Amino acid sequence: MGYGSVIKVPFGPQHPALKEPEHFTFEVEGDVVVNVKPRIGYNHRGIEKAFERRTYIQNIYLAERICGICSDAHTTCYTQAIENLLGVEAPPRAKYIRVIIAELERIHSHSLWVGIAAHEIGFDTLFMYVWRDREVVMNLFEMISGNRVNYATNTIGGVRRDIPSEMFPKIKKGLDVLEKRLKYYLDVAQTEQTILKRTSGVGILKPKDAVELCAVGPTLRASGIKNDVRADDPYAAYDEIPFNVVTHDGCDVLSRIIVRCKEMFESINIIRYALDHIPSGMIRVRVPMAVPEGETVSRVEAPRGELIHYAKSNGTMQPERYKVRSPTLGNIPALCKMLLGGRVADIPIVLAGIDPCFACMDRMAFVDLKTNKKWVWTMDELKEHVRRNNL
Amino acid sequence: MSLIKEALKQVLKKPATLNYPIEKVPVPEGFRGRPIWDMRKCIGCGLCSRVCPSGAIEMIGKGPQAEIKHYVDRCMFCAQCAESCPRNAITMSQEYELADFDRSKMVYEYKHV
Amino acid sequence: MTEAENEILEKVKETLKEEIVEIKIPRKRRIFVKIRRKALKQAVKSLKELGFKHISTITGVDLGENIELIYHFAYKGAVELSLRLDVPKNKPDVPTITDIIPGAILYEREVHDLFGVTFEGHPQMARLILPEKWPEGIYPLRKEYTLENLKKLIFEDGEEE
Repeated sequence: MGYGSVIKVPFGPQHPALKEPEHFTFEVEGDVVVNVKPRIGYNHRGIEKAFERRTYIQNIYLAERICGICSDAHTTCYTQAIENLLGVEAPPRAKYIRVIIAELERIHSHSLWVGIAAHEIGFDTLFMYVWRDREVVMNLFEMISGNRVNYATNTIGGVRRDIPSEMFPKIKKGLDVLEKRLKYYLDVAQTEQTILKRTSGVGILKPKDAVELCAVGPTLRASGIKNDVRADDPYAAYDEIPFNVVTHDGCDVLSRIIVRCKEMFESINIIRYALDHIPSGMIRVRVPMAVPEGETVSRVEAPRGELIHYAKSNGTMQPERYKVRSPTLGNIPALCKMLLGGRVADIPIVLAGIDPCFACMDRMAFVDLKTNKKWVWTMDELKEHVRRNNL
Repeated sequence: MSLIKEALKQVLKKPATLNYPIEKVPVPEGFRGRPIWDMRKCIGCGLCSRVCPSGAIEMIGKGPQAEIKHYVDRCMFCAQCAESCPRNAITMSQEYELADFDRSKMVYEYKHV
Repeated sequence: MTEAENEILEKVKETLKEEIVEIKIPRKRRIFVKIRRKALKQAVKSLKELGFKHISTITGVDLGENIELIYHFAYKGAVELSLRLDVPKNKPDVPTITDIIPGAILYEREVHDLFGVTFEGHPQMARLILPEKWPEGIYPLRKEYTLENLKKLIFEDGEEE
């Protein structure tokens, strides 16, 4: 592991997202997993320490780069925390814009995940088509924010860019296309044998375990537990927008697919409602550079689940302490539980099931308890093993 | 099996992918590309270099004679400099193919005329 | 403050009584409760009985002499109660809460790595985040470690990049 210049300090909040390294040690008995030991931190970038050295304005962009997929969730959480410390509130229009961007991001993240889940079970045709249709939402982002990822819309005290009303019909048209396509994919997921055989009854997480192990987000909701920060602890404009919290009581990977697909429909409806009811007015309030002493906890429902930031200020232009807990970390204990008793061939899809950074598992060590032989497989080798043995 | 119809339909369509870099799509309005300084407007206050989250902007000297060095290899195109500039001297351009094998070539200098 | 929070607060006061040092309510649905160090296990137990089954994370804060631990609990997903306590920096140990709330297992390891707080009774107090080569006894998020002196400590053998 190499260390870089001042920016690449190897500590801080780890954030395992897609295509990032993470290590699990599985103990297998024959083909059955009997113990899982996670080892994370391969992608630790020292962000929590870096927060303490930057000003509040610079930290917006640092928060945005904690994760590429849910960059908006992190900035929403960050700006809310700082706004709370400053005692200001974003104007109503800004709150609606935050909701629109957040829900577009959820659609983008979930459809990306559906594609990846299909890829993990070897169903690359579906993967290609889902990702082709994901372009619709990417293009909407490009139109609204100028760029496809890292939208840079949130700022302390509101948002940086307005969504002009000329864009509304285009957004709605995009949503119509998406809705049609997503209906089709949901139908495919529920009827296609390739998917059902690989996901139904796999990676079981019982509701009791899900609560005990503090799972979050769609992973928790797919175990039948109704829990969503947007509904329970509303932020931005979510207290004014009606929506359903989607749950499914299958407790397996299939129900995680269904929950995410149905959540995308909810997101589409939320955006439609927000576009129809968006108030006019300012989009941001000016805020001072220095933040008075205080501390706060900010929570946001990121696409992957509950995201929590803790901020402590000391009256200067830099925070005293900033803590980030991303949803994937919250789901790792639950993930280990899901993998126990499962088969080696199901590991990729169960791992992918919580929507983590799953190339994270590029290095998996297997220990055969009987022979005590140890070997390491890459993800591709593992998939090859699955293919060869027709599992 | 249910995807067969979908797959057959796609056979008759154009590929969904783009033939980059031979074909390029125009970037949208409001795209955040390489920032460009208009030195006729710059007053050398140094705010851009102070707000830059990645330390990509260096100001040499102070006041009206200051020079700006922009390290595009560090820049993350957040446009905070353009937002903070009190004279609107910075605009985000449409340029995006900025990579180079040599980092020393990825520096843009701006001088007062 | 809404009724639900009042109710929770009354119950918390009732069960923890003199163990409470300070209570703060900075905004809706947020409660900060500071307790004595010894009362941690009892407090977590009674909070769980009250319905705080979900732990969101554990935050460590360097206060100079002490390290402050903040346990963030969620009540049915809505009210966030932050339970805080101080542990002295020269002997930073607290009992584990993983036997009460198993979901805290990784959060305790994270704080152990970055602040050097030992959680007694934790089933696997191994390194979670820092690399294997990281020197023992250096806890990067403590304030005495700045980027400059950390760089010196880590790159002693001149292997930078």
